[in-house]
Amino acid sequence: MDRRTVLKGLAGAGGLALTGLSAPAIAQGASARTLRFVPQANLANFDPIWGTQYVVRNAAALVWDTLYGIDSSLQPQRQMVESEETTDDGKTWTFKLRSGLKFHDGEPVLAKDVVASLSRWAARDPMGLMIIAIQQELTAVDDRTFKWVLKQPFPKMLYALAKNNAPCSFIMPERIAKTDPFKQITEYVGSGPMKFAKGEWVPGAKAVFEKFTDYVPRQEKASWLAGGKQIMVDRVEWIVMPDPATAAAALQNGEVDWWENPIADLVPVLKKNKNISVDIGDPLGNIGSFRMNHLFAPFNDVRARRAVLMALSQEDYMRAIVGDDDALWKPLPGFFTPDTPVYNDLGGDILKGKRDLDAAKKLLAESGYSGQPVTCLVAQDQPITKAQGDVTADLLKKLGMNVDFVATDWGTVGSRRAAKTPPGQGGWNMFHSWHAGADCITPAAYTAIRANGDKAWFGWPNSPNTEKEITGWFEAKSVDEEKAAIGRVNKAAIEDVVYAPTGFFLTYTAWRKNVSGIAKGPLPFFWGVSKSA
Amino acid sequence: MLSYILRRIVATLPVMAIVALFVFSLLYIAPGDPAVVIAGDQASPEDVERIRQSLGLDRPFLVQFGSWVWRILHGDLGTSIFTNLPVSAMIGQRLGPTLSLMIVTLLLTIVVAVPLGVVAAWKAGSLIDRVIMGFAVFGFSLPVFVVGYMLAYVFALELEWLPVQGYTPLSSGFWPWLENLILPAIALGCVYIALVARITRAAMLEVLQQDYIRTAKAKGLGQGGILFIHALKNAAVPIVTVIGIGIALLIGGAVVTESVFAIPGLGRLTIDAILRRDYPVIQGIVLLFSFVYVLVNLMIDVIYTLVDPRIRY
Repeated sequence: MDRRTVLKGLAGAGGLALTGLSAPAIAQGASARTLRFVPQANLANFDPIWGTQYVVRNAAALVWDTLYGIDSSLQPQRQMVESEETTDDGKTWTFKLRSGLKFHDGEPVLAKDVVASLSRWAARDPMGLMIIAIQQELTAVDDRTFKWVLKQPFPKMLYALAKNNAPCSFIMPERIAKTDPFKQITEYVGSGPMKFAKGEWVPGAKAVFEKFTDYVPRQEKASWLAGGKQIMVDRVEWIVMPDPATAAAALQNGEVDWWENPIADLVPVLKKNKNISVDIGDPLGNIGSFRMNHLFAPFNDVRARRAVLMALSQEDYMRAIVGDDDALWKPLPGFFTPDTPVYNDLGGDILKGKRDLDAAKKLLAESGYSGQPVTCLVAQDQPITKAQGDVTADLLKKLGMNVDFVATDWGTVGSRRAAKTPPGQGGWNMFHSWHAGADCITPAAYTAIRANGDKAWFGWPNSPNTEKEITGWFEAKSVDEEKAAIGRVNKAAIEDVVYAPTGFFLTYTAWRKNVSGIAKGPLPFFWGVSKSA
Repeated sequence: MLSYILRRIVATLPVMAIVALFVFSLLYIAPGDPAVVIAGDQASPEDVERIRQSLGLDRPFLVQFGSWVWRILHGDLGTSIFTNLPVSAMIGQRLGPTLSLMIVTLLLTIVVAVPLGVVAAWKAGSLIDRVIMGFAVFGFSLPVFVVGYMLAYVFALELEWLPVQGYTPLSSGFWPWLENLILPAIALGCVYIALVARITRAAMLEVLQQDYIRTAKAKGLGQGGILFIHALKNAAVPIVTVIGIGIALLIGGAVVTESVFAIPGLGRLTIDAILRRDYPVIQGIVLLFSFVYVLVNLMIDVIYTLVDPRIRY
């Protein structure tokens, strides 16, 4: 009998006498049927179309199913769909749903539910908007069949329906899917492998998912969002822990089973623990970035932007983010996720080799930079942006620039970066961010690579060449064509410096050794994950 | 007394109104935009603007303020921008953990700090006094999160006596409830214990020099009786005052403590709401905290009359 047992016994006896309440007895088996997971962030809302944060997408993948799912080879595979047909001209797609699909309220999944869900999704998704722009009609043919008729072919249709980038095209009951896409749903009924226990949801602290016993998994082996989503536990509890040190301690103490993204500083401690496994969580990783405002001097001149690219050392940025663990980063001479089928870093020479500070200074002077303040927004509450911001401030000073370092929080950066006013009047010159590698494989969901001026992401780059090559990728019909198109996009975006990539980095995930079946991927997949007592 | 209490409660209304106006104005002019957070990092400016419109955040200040006040007057704190849940329900979810933490901390403080202060005054100038006051300085100097991490490391990770994090409601049993609160209460209570111990010592030192104490000693009264019955009661007014003021310390400290120990209380709700710019939640919590603070001050005034019959309102 250890000290803790004695304390429990004493206090328990006293407590029972005082309250008359009995403590619950949690059987070993029950504990083994509950997987306790620490997510990357707080699940503050639960509408995967209205709110497109990754954490919402990750939770939604448990509750809502998709027509297609992307697998680990990045190919779309049938999920809720049994079969599809397309006409020779590529303008009409006809889809048939699998039989026996049910929502969590017991109602069957019908084609009309799919039509309403796709309409809501398409209004918020970049690829969905492209489809809407060429859509003739989207209709339910019968209970299991629906048809999408387009005015011109859209070769990436299945990818759009399968992609894991938020927002995913999750299928909801028609009554819920008819909600305005800019307003939040209030019912969380899906047809996915787990049900959302709304009554146990404490936003900011806990979210609970229960196994949906009527779920009919596909027969194929699970692979990312595709295949048979077999749930091996009864409950999955998401426990939000804002403090990484607390999460690390809880994992070591066996109070949680799986921590999605331990910070690099704490990984050595976890690796030493014989009860804990640590591995790369998402092989697609992340791309660090900072964006320059193309509307105002000095970065409205491409020479000033190129000067910064010439001088920046990706190693400095990556070491600031991940520390000395060389397994966690690599240089990235471009904008696309490395080690993927269509990766191409054509034109990335400016980011390779020894950094030439003198040449960069010369180019900066040619751009007409004359010492005006460069307003650099740095969110201090995000370790990645803070680390990058410190490196950038040093880089700009080395280039002889006058840095106006605005240390603030992410909420303020998020708001201020939308301002198109001059930097001295509430605007900005630079801000830092990072992009999930899963979003940067192709231009499909890669908002940050777009360079269509006013309609582009913050910084509003205007590069007709980049846009032309992006269109070329959408029209590509084979992997080789796609790869060539990606190379051309990369070259054009580097030439015009759409933004500054600061390198490619990975993060770890950690779990207790009594948990098995955790797959590497762009989001935590709970199917196939089991836990022993 | 009853009319005094009623007068004081009525007097809280203008205070609350000023707090409401202040908080609303502050949030309105503060940088940040909840629509940006909701829309996500990849959203277009047009999407952000449409979300802002759907939330009514594009309306003029006075319209937003007027509609908020109207709802407050009807007992409606509004709905969270993010969770779509009523603010009152969210506060209700979080009240239990915070209240539990504060009660345990308060009890721990009184049980530890008051006797320490009394003993320090009794043994003024001795080694015991210096040790106690040294501890008080130490407790005052250490940030809550440092104490929290140290306690978690020693008592949870090394000794495995207590859990690192979380909260279990009292309805699940007394020990599970208390087990989760011991470390946070000690971490949060350190500063508070130091403060109360020092004030108790100072107040007791003054009282112990009074003539009636000498008389009590001369009459042969025991040391315990002198210290805890005669002296402590007369030193109680400043001690009660500082315990009351310390409630504000507890509210502030709870924000950090709840984060370190992952307790789903109001402190964490406050931080989350501020970082996301969830205005209705921030406003609701600040109003609640203001009300609690005003109420605590009222309670202190009432307690004065109990510990010192000379005080009349």
